[in-house]
Amino acid sequence: MKTSLHSKTSLLTPESSTEAISSKMKDVNPEVGSLQPRKRKGNTVSKATQNEKSVLESSNAQAPTKEKHKGLESVPIFTLITTYLSYLILILFAHIRDRMGKLFYPGQYALLRESDGYAPLISDFESLWIRRLYTRISDAFNRPITGVAGGHVTLLERTSKDHNKTFELTGKKTEVLNLASYNYLGFAQNTGYCADQVELSIKNLGLSHCASRAQGAQTKMILETEKLISEYLDVEDSILISMGYATNSSVIPLLVDKGCLIISDELNHSSLVSGSRLSGATITVFKHNDPSDLERVLRRYISEGQPRTHRPWRKILVVIEGLYSMEGEIGDLAGIVALKDKYKFYIFLDEAHSIGAMGKHGRGVCEFLGVDHKKVDMLMGTFTKSFGAVGGYIAGKKDLIDYLRLKSYSSVYGEVMPIPVMEQVASSLRLIMDIVPEHKGEGPKRIKQLEENSSYFMRKLREMGFLILGDQGSPVVPLLLFNPGKIPAFSHECLKRNIAVVVVSYPATPIITGRVRFCISASHTREDLDYALEQIDEIGDLLGLKLLK
Amino acid sequence: MRFQDRLFFISKSSLATVLISALPVLGSSDAGNHSENAKTHGFFSYGARFVVRYVKASYRDDPFRTFLELCLVLFIVWYVSKQKYKFNQVDLKLSEKDIEELIKEWKPEPIVPLMTTHEKEVFDNFPVIDSPTGTVLKLDNGKSVINFVSHDFLGLMNNANAKEKAVNTLRKYGVGPCGPPGFYGTLDVHMELEALISSFLKADATILYSQAMSVCVSVIPCFSKRGDIIVADDQVNFMLQQGILLSRSRVYWYKHNDMEDLKKVLEKIDQVESKKKGPIPRKFIVAEGLSMSTGNILKLDKIMELKKQFKYRLILDESLAIGAIGPRGAGTTDLFGISVKDVEILIGSLCLAFGGSGGFCCSSKQLIGHQRLSGAGYVFSAAMPAIMAITAADGIRRLETDSYALLNLLRRNIATLRSQLGRIKDIVIEGDIRSPQMHIRLTESAYKKCISSNLNSSNEQTWENEDHVLLNIVSHMRDNGILVSQCVYVKEHEHNIPRPSIRVLVSCTHTQQQLEKLSQSLEEAIKAIAK
Ligand SMILES: Cc1ncc(COP(=O)(O)O)c(C=O)c1O
Repeated sequence: MKTSLHSKTSLLTPESSTEAISSKMKDVNPEVGSLQPRKRKGNTVSKATQNEKSVLESSNAQAPTKEKHKGLESVPIFTLITTYLSYLILILFAHIRDRMGKLFYPGQYALLRESDGYAPLISDFESLWIRRLYTRISDAFNRPITGVAGGHVTLLERTSKDHNKTFELTGKKTEVLNLASYNYLGFAQNTGYCADQVELSIKNLGLSHCASRAQGAQTKMILETEKLISEYLDVEDSILISMGYATNSSVIPLLVDKGCLIISDELNHSSLVSGSRLSGATITVFKHNDPSDLERVLRRYISEGQPRTHRPWRKILVVIEGLYSMEGEIGDLAGIVALKDKYKFYIFLDEAHSIGAMGKHGRGVCEFLGVDHKKVDMLMGTFTKSFGAVGGYIAGKKDLIDYLRLKSYSSVYGEVMPIPVMEQVASSLRLIMDIVPEHKGEGPKRIKQLEENSSYFMRKLREMGFLILGDQGSPVVPLLLFNPGKIPAFSHECLKRNIAVVVVSYPATPIITGRVRFCISASHTREDLDYALEQIDEIGDLLGLKLLK
Repeated sequence: MRFQDRLFFISKSSLATVLISALPVLGSSDAGNHSENAKTHGFFSYGARFVVRYVKASYRDDPFRTFLELCLVLFIVWYVSKQKYKFNQVDLKLSEKDIEELIKEWKPEPIVPLMTTHEKEVFDNFPVIDSPTGTVLKLDNGKSVINFVSHDFLGLMNNANAKEKAVNTLRKYGVGPCGPPGFYGTLDVHMELEALISSFLKADATILYSQAMSVCVSVIPCFSKRGDIIVADDQVNFMLQQGILLSRSRVYWYKHNDMEDLKKVLEKIDQVESKKKGPIPRKFIVAEGLSMSTGNILKLDKIMELKKQFKYRLILDESLAIGAIGPRGAGTTDLFGISVKDVEILIGSLCLAFGGSGGFCCSSKQLIGHQRLSGAGYVFSAAMPAIMAITAADGIRRLETDSYALLNLLRRNIATLRSQLGRIKDIVIEGDIRSPQMHIRLTESAYKKCISSNLNSSNEQTWENEDHVLLNIVSHMRDNGILVSQCVYVKEHEHNIPRPSIRVLVSCTHTQQQLEKLSQSLEEAIKAIAK
């Protein structure tokens, strides 16, 4: 190990003094801090619709525009060509190896062939990518850990004797700096107020109800937690659902069905996509984060009506995210809300990553962008990220929420949220809302710390000349790697230097823009970040990643 | 506006059709005279000469008609060439003003409909529990009730041992793992739990899902794709239905637990499919070990035979069965003495009998590996909290070590309750006699008595009315200290909505008196409501 990471206490452990460190930070970096929503620069929106009545142009909404990243235009042609070429070679070799393999070792491919009248369960073509490309780098994924995934995390070392087909634990453990978990506010903890509360709840109430909410497991605790969420988000009512994924996939089918239209951002999360599919509504997409394209789609679909019958749509639901976690990009909520009055659609906003992590009080993108959250019909979020729990919520009007309590698939067929998890939600929420007298100021401190950490980290990386996606204020910082060879290499280099990172490549991203994604947490200290930056700087030189230099 | 457009379009196209069909008729009288030489000449020269002659003749006979026909031909050419626009691009023809008008006119429905009277009644009747979990619960109105609504068959809920372990786990792992299993969310406790499940069920490999309801919707689309064939029991639980829907495969339903019907369906598919060329589709039978909606036990031996005969694979949902039936409590496979390895894909849950949270899928190593990359609920959702994994593992271990005592108690309680309920003449108990989940319905005559004294509007035997009567019974029982629940469904989304029933879940922790109290209170409730 290069530095002794063990010795560093996290900012948020009780014994460390937060004030001291953050004041120190101000010395180092005076300009860190105020994060104002960016103002809209007049001419950027609405080019697709050449209609003078376009709401976007006539409205005075303070839509923050997407500051065009000093982005893909500035990527050297050389990088683009080599990236495509590398993939080409990889695929070519994959095919050749597959051909050879089938010829010489047919036994190994039995699963992919029709045999004895059974079709293969895994299709040959589909799995080529996995067998030949993913497996090569699969040691960068599914890395097992133990303990808390906090600012630092303990990895269980594993080795593979058969080229990543299987892994074995060696029994060795390494503590590494964690730039991978969605622990934005640092609530992944086994000590402190939340853990104490959770312990109490286990002792007093038990663990789980072994039943669904609609059939006998609606507890006073759920209702109280929901009340807390509603208060926090300043909405009429909210419903707690035991899983974030299911919050999307099991609620959307209740909102829209046949004869309705879903307009979905093209980069929406899988849970939103599967919810949309299950609903039976007509689905269409608009260009990622582009309100003018949304307007074009709306105009076209409203004027055409339903396919074939041309009856008017029953409802239109626009499904978007607050913070796109692969891009680190903040949704253009203001631009979309500005269209709402005219086109009368409903908005489903997924704040999985932004709730808690963004805005002055952690109330998500609405607060961050200064958009009236009452304009959003369904505010959805998860407790998996910032709150250190699991599960999700939907917030909105009372009649909507009551309907979901009665009918959402999760209420009727799913398990109710386990008691310790619910207590983690409630207690972390109380800290964020700053209503625990003994821990006054802890929640806001975390929010501020996260904001400082992420903008510091992003700014430093940009200064080093890396190609960084993501908007200012996002706790997710993606760094573009391009060449497929660099993707595992970056992960390995980081691991060598005791840093855990997440790398993502095609098919999760466009083929060209493989990336590493850093998730910044409030529990990272300035030393943690500086250490990481120093190491990433070195790796950047080693792998030739500083494309803007 | 749009409607007029369509009318115009329709009238134009019908006009063209009339003209096209009219043309040969107009010319037919003359054409007949000149066709004797057809066989001796080549087709083209014949055709050309025919046209020339035809035109000459017709010009001689009736120049006006030639002119008319020419106009027609030109019109058709113009019309056909004009039809190039696509049908779904009607908007090209709408002016901006039209679009604005349409947008102004359009009015959406409210985001959710108002609750119907019946739905409101069901909703208002949800009890609110204000006490620790356990066999006896306290409601928020201060009343104590005996719990017959938890799937706590083995009495593992709320035991001190599990709670202590949970606290220790909390102090080591915290609560949430803050990420999906792929991104540093795989904990050592997850891997241990997976291994434990594999060894308990004697399966090859196991994958954990953080929520039971996400297992089916992830596993089925993972293997069965568009064009593949699924043959499913028509009363499978809702999450299986959703998984089937999401897979976009071709679905055929067979009557609930009716193996004759299944065979018929398989034969029929076989007939159709054997005629088709090309690669064979993947074929699956989807069934439930112990049915959620009826409490029936699957005839697994028969299904195994059929699947082999027709070359299907089995997706077996054992969510309710594991921890409830079989000599070891390992589910339907255990009951029938069939190896789990012979079931291609087996789904189970940890949130019911084992008191944890989440679910799992057992399969061969390769198929589990495939799910770790393609199972949506595994890839895109946070991992299971360590506390719940440890709790589930504790549950399984307790069943393993103490299966004889726990299961015997459970069976005794099931038998006791069945015999007591059997004395009530007004009810029918559905489900297998070994099932700890019982569905209770009223007999026809009892229903008639209850409904006539209850509803003044209509006393037809509709689903809602029947449910309404049961709801009254449930709420009467609750006032008398027994917590049971009538089955709740999302009625309009169910494939085949089961008849309303009261669901009773037996646990091995229920005492004889508690069971007796249930049947007494049920009898009283029916009497009170039928009066
Ligand atoms: C946008 C979005 N929605 C929903 C989810 C699912 O949340 P959970 O992990 O709580 O199931 C995620 C998780 O990655 C997400 O990114």
